[in-house]
Amino acid sequence: MIDDAQLDALSDRQLAERPFDELVVVLQQTVQRLEGGSIGLEESIRLYKHGLRLHAACETRLREAELTITELGRRGVTGAEPEG
Amino acid sequence: MAPDAAQGSLWDEPQRAPESPHPVRASPRILRVTDLNRRVRSLLDADAILADVWVEGEVSQPSFPPSGHCFFTLKDANSQVRAALFREELTRAAVRPTHGMNVIIHGRVRAYELQGVYQLYVDTITAAGAGDLHAQYEALRNELAAAGLFEEGRKRPIARWPRRIGVVTSPVGAVWRDITNVLRRRYPLAVLVLSPTVVQGTTAAPAIVRALQRLYAQPDLDTIILARGGGSLEDLWSFNDERVVRAVAGASVPIIVGVGHESDVTLADFAADLRAPTPSAAAELATPDVTQLGTVVVRLRDRATAALLGRAAERRRFVDAERRALVGLAPDIDAARQRTSDLLDRGARAVDARVARRRSLVESANGTLRTLSPMATLARGYAVALTADRRILRDAGDVAAGEPLQVIVARGRVEARVERTSADGTEELLS
Repeated sequence: MIDDAQLDALSDRQLAERPFDELVVVLQQTVQRLEGGSIGLEESIRLYKHGLRLHAACETRLREAELTITELGRRGVTGAEPEG
Repeated sequence: MAPDAAQGSLWDEPQRAPESPHPVRASPRILRVTDLNRRVRSLLDADAILADVWVEGEVSQPSFPPSGHCFFTLKDANSQVRAALFREELTRAAVRPTHGMNVIIHGRVRAYELQGVYQLYVDTITAAGAGDLHAQYEALRNELAAAGLFEEGRKRPIARWPRRIGVVTSPVGAVWRDITNVLRRRYPLAVLVLSPTVVQGTTAAPAIVRALQRLYAQPDLDTIILARGGGSLEDLWSFNDERVVRAVAGASVPIIVGVGHESDVTLADFAADLRAPTPSAAAELATPDVTQLGTVVVRLRDRATAALLGRAAERRRFVDAERRALVGLAPDIDAARQRTSDLLDRGARAVDARVARRRSLVESANGTLRTLSPMATLARGYAVALTADRRILRDAGDVAAGEPLQVIVARGRVEARVERTSADGTEELLS
């Protein structure tokens, strides 16, 4: 799972290549930290910026998503015809 | 009737040397369909066994057209044959064929030239005992249930956001196309890993098991879908095969089984972590809807914004509160000032009181002093006699006759001279 330091180190492009569910989970955690008590305004602003970047990465992922299909070795496909 | 004789009657021109082990290849003879079917029929008619057979099987899809005859399919796990039960025989029959009924039939096999099929012409039909497909199904179901394969507690939750989804199905046909269509529309973020297999026929069960095991060997799969389109009970039978059911139960990751239509329930369905009514439904159950995910993500961003604004507002409220608190300190200063002033007042009053008290003391002392003054005594009528050497005369013996005395009274003094002295006489004054 991406932590704050990694998030700062990743470019927007790199961030958008992370698994979608991970992005959403980190975004969720960021929002929860923002909503939780006991953090200062400076920290809030930093978290908020993280949130915006994560959100943008999610949007990019959703926009560019294309179903990937791979097929395991075709042995076993022979004889696909129904048997009489 | 020998086959050779029949052959002779069917061909317009017999082969030039049919008896030769190495016949010279003639130009191909072209048959009419009718001729072909007639030859097949004659072949079948010539077979003594086919003319008088007992067959056990399961009745499938019997139809009862207005003619009064009955037509149905007779089948077992692997094969099927068409059967005809004409009105006369049907009337005499011990049982009326129903779908799924296991029967023993006597009759003969003939070709039906009109359609180019061969059929079993039934003259006797009786119900058979156990051993039909349904009984097999029930027996295996009970056995596997007893082995714990279908227990609810074994069922694992399906990954909410799968990254890699394995699919076992036939790569040809509608099912695979339906699954990819659903996922393309619904969750294009996923990677699909197809493990192709045949899904019907006698080789299907081991092939399905192999396809499943190929997927089980894959790392990082989140979900597996095992799917097949609709079909007859026999078509779906491999999904009731014990090997397949056990393979499903042993899935490396949560597995969704979607076989046939809503009403088709196979033993593989029971063993799955999740049963889907159809292959498309399996694809839907395996994935979240990407359009809803977009909403989820936007909602998260909105929550972040609200939280930040809330935090800022909270800070502002805090600062305001601090400011109010500071302002609130001002009345305290006033109060302190007031208190100081009060104290000063009280001090002043205390000092005043003390001064007043002193003054009254002084005054009272003054009075006392005044009382003690010889003048006051003189005023009361006493007198002081002073001798010539200015001593106060207290003893008559201290003076002699003829000595001058000065007598001081309240107002003025008297110059006098002693006439005579006497030791007594003090008592007279007091009497």
